[in-house]
Amino acid sequence: MDELLTQFLIESRELVDKAGEDLLALEKAHDAKRFEDAFRAFHTLKGGAGIVEFGAMQEALHCAEDALAAARAESRPVSALEIGNCLACLDQVAEWLATIEQSGAIPQNADAGDIVALFARGAATPSTAGAAPSAAADAWVDTLLGAHSDTASEAQTAVRYTPAADCFFRHEDPLALIAGLPGLLAVDVEPRSPWPTLADLDPFSCNLTITALLATSSVEVAAALGGESGRAEIEAVAGRALPLDAESLASAAAEILEAQLRLLDSADTAFQQGRVASVGLVAANVLRYVGRSLESDNVATAAAMAIAEGRVAPLVQAIAAALNAAPPEGVAETGRRKEAAQTIRVAAERIDALVRLTGELIVAKNSLGHSVKLAEAEDSDLAVALKNQHAALERLVTELQRAVVGMRVLPLRVAFRRFPRLIRELSAELDKSATLAISGEDTEADKTIVEAIVEPLVHLLRNALDHGVEDGATRAAAGKPAMATIRLRAAREGEHVVIEVADDGAGIDVAAVRRAASERSLKPREAIAAMSDEEALDLIFMPGFSTAKTVTHLSGRGVGMDAVRTAVARLGGAVAIRTTVGQGTAVRVTLPFSVLVTQVMTVEAGGQLFGIPLDAVVETLRVEKERIFPVGAAHAIVLRDRTIPLVRLADVLGNRAKDRADDSGPIVIAQLDGQLGAVQVESIGERMEIILKPLDGLLSGMPGLAGSALLGDGGVLLVLDLAEVVQ
Amino acid sequence: MPDEVAKRVLVVDDAALVRLYYRTALERAGFEVAEALNGVEALEHVLAERFDLLVVDVNMPQMDGLSFLRTLRAKNLPLSSIPALVTSTESAPRRIAEANAAGANFYIVKPLRAETLVQYASLFCGARHG
Repeated sequence: MDELLTQFLIESRELVDKAGEDLLALEKAHDAKRFEDAFRAFHTLKGGAGIVEFGAMQEALHCAEDALAAARAESRPVSALEIGNCLACLDQVAEWLATIEQSGAIPQNADAGDIVALFARGAATPSTAGAAPSAAADAWVDTLLGAHSDTASEAQTAVRYTPAADCFFRHEDPLALIAGLPGLLAVDVEPRSPWPTLADLDPFSCNLTITALLATSSVEVAAALGGESGRAEIEAVAGRALPLDAESLASAAAEILEAQLRLLDSADTAFQQGRVASVGLVAANVLRYVGRSLESDNVATAAAMAIAEGRVAPLVQAIAAALNAAPPEGVAETGRRKEAAQTIRVAAERIDALVRLTGELIVAKNSLGHSVKLAEAEDSDLAVALKNQHAALERLVTELQRAVVGMRVLPLRVAFRRFPRLIRELSAELDKSATLAISGEDTEADKTIVEAIVEPLVHLLRNALDHGVEDGATRAAAGKPAMATIRLRAAREGEHVVIEVADDGAGIDVAAVRRAASERSLKPREAIAAMSDEEALDLIFMPGFSTAKTVTHLSGRGVGMDAVRTAVARLGGAVAIRTTVGQGTAVRVTLPFSVLVTQVMTVEAGGQLFGIPLDAVVETLRVEKERIFPVGAAHAIVLRDRTIPLVRLADVLGNRAKDRADDSGPIVIAQLDGQLGAVQVESIGERMEIILKPLDGLLSGMPGLAGSALLGDGGVLLVLDLAEVVQ
Repeated sequence: MPDEVAKRVLVVDDAALVRLYYRTALERAGFEVAEALNGVEALEHVLAERFDLLVVDVNMPQMDGLSFLRTLRAKNLPLSSIPALVTSTESAPRRIAEANAAGANFYIVKPLRAETLVQYASLFCGARHG
């Protein structure tokens, strides 16, 4: 008997005794420590059986372990029945151990069927009853794969077929049955129990176990076996750890490298030197082992850099580069490697750098347009040539920009993910029943948008449920289904992404909105009375507005729709609302697809050039000086019967050119927080696309500025946040 | 370039049979092998000697494999950087994620065949033996 089997016997016997004692003690009284000891003993026994490839013993022990695990998962003491079954299992194991000691070999005819049946009967739930085809009881599969390592990599299914002993009398040919299976790779035939002496041999009884490897799926194999599939064990083997030949070595190496990359994925948030260094070490070693020493050295250097800098990016890049590089000659490309080459992991900061560079390229392109104008005055031929070049460059840059923007997109699903749960929790809290119907979650938008839109949407969903959806009695009276539906829809519309939150609730009573706005003195009473319904509805976006009768725990805490509008406007988007009393309300959020480029209109004020985001601009006009009239300390103009407050930009910015009569300058009508405002400037310049850079450093606290941008001629354009400027 | 120094593997498993099985296979392939019965013993070993690879079981008394790895990875370099191969009978993705979070470099579901262990150990240590 070999050393391994001897050690197995010694250890197993000890464990059987130990587990038996623990079980008997548990039968008298529950004891957590005893229970854990027993559990561990069964677990270790099973592990040992796996090592010596004693499948039946593994299978039997697996059932016992499952029963104990179920008791543990349900935090209850083991039942007397379960203890009885586990003891029976130990008895069977002890019997097998005795056989091994006598014969010096693992009994080939050992069968765990009785024990499995015992547990299957006793099991309270099907989850523990189905323990028979256990993952651990298939050591034969590994044996089979090991014996046929040449074809093992193609194998999808392994079969162990035990024909009925009397099959020959039924005109069956077990071997032919297996040989006829589709996709057969290898067949092994073994005796079920050791062959008796020739004198005792019963030639009419089938004593065979046939194992086979197949390149077809387990479902197909089961179908081909037909009625005999009940006598066969069918195991899926794809993805099993195989002994490695040259080809599988390369794929194992790739597998390990991929695993290391995944480890780094999570390591960035909590940078731990030991973890990162071990990843570097493993990756470098794997590469060296497969003969790619150059890449191995690169990875080692990158690991040192990563440790020194406290970030994983350099190591991620080095490992990804090695993974995506062509495999060395003579190694067949496996499917896994092809897959790896189709997607490349790139650190987010690299993409951000690309975005930044593309932005600067756009600026450079714009400056070429500037040069074209200069050239026109000097040399018309040159100007035409330059213009053509500029047009070609413009097209290419636009394509590049689109491609870069495409790298940063995420599906809105990422933002929508938590909403079903939110609605569930909110409905419970508000005692309303509602379902959330999400559609268009595959719609993509820039990462910045997807991340920033969550808060406003949470607010809209809360509002829909809290203020929109009626209580059960009201819904019943209105003949609506008890379960309200809130729809969250997303869609791409040209360069915009539209998200709509719609409820089938009570709708908004515009009269109530007018009343509430008057009570809160949000606007002069007369102004409110004079508003169209549409305008009045817009009042709910004003700071301090709330029509909720009671302040609930969830909404109506001072941050209302104005917060939504501000957040959306910050992303360059707009919010619109439409409602039908008795039928529901829909809030539509329109957002730019990308935040890369902002269109601005340049204006001059106080002798200085400023940019105004074009999406805020409604129209530009000139009015006679006489039509600007004072309102208190301020000014206003009347435009199409509406009074619009007017400010002079230079006044507000405090740099009014003294000697300039700018009272007659052009006026920009802009949409400011949902209201119209008029801004008088000295002149209006061109429209241009700019890359809006947020202000940082000393300028970051400056009110009224949205950001800055580089101009074609190298100058800096300050872009105004008109809403803040006018306030 | 031949590797002069034999690669050293620490096998951490509470089952003597498993340790014997792994040791036999690894030694036959030219590795030097030390054994530890649990996380505490494993820590004592790694503090005292150099190892190129840890082969760690999950469920062990006193200190389990994952606690051991968490403790190890929090230590200073180079001690904290020893590659670790975790083997366990548990195949649930959650268990694998737990092991990875604790500091495992790779996770193999038992049973682990001797040939497979040797080849993975060779890859992890970056050296051919024999």
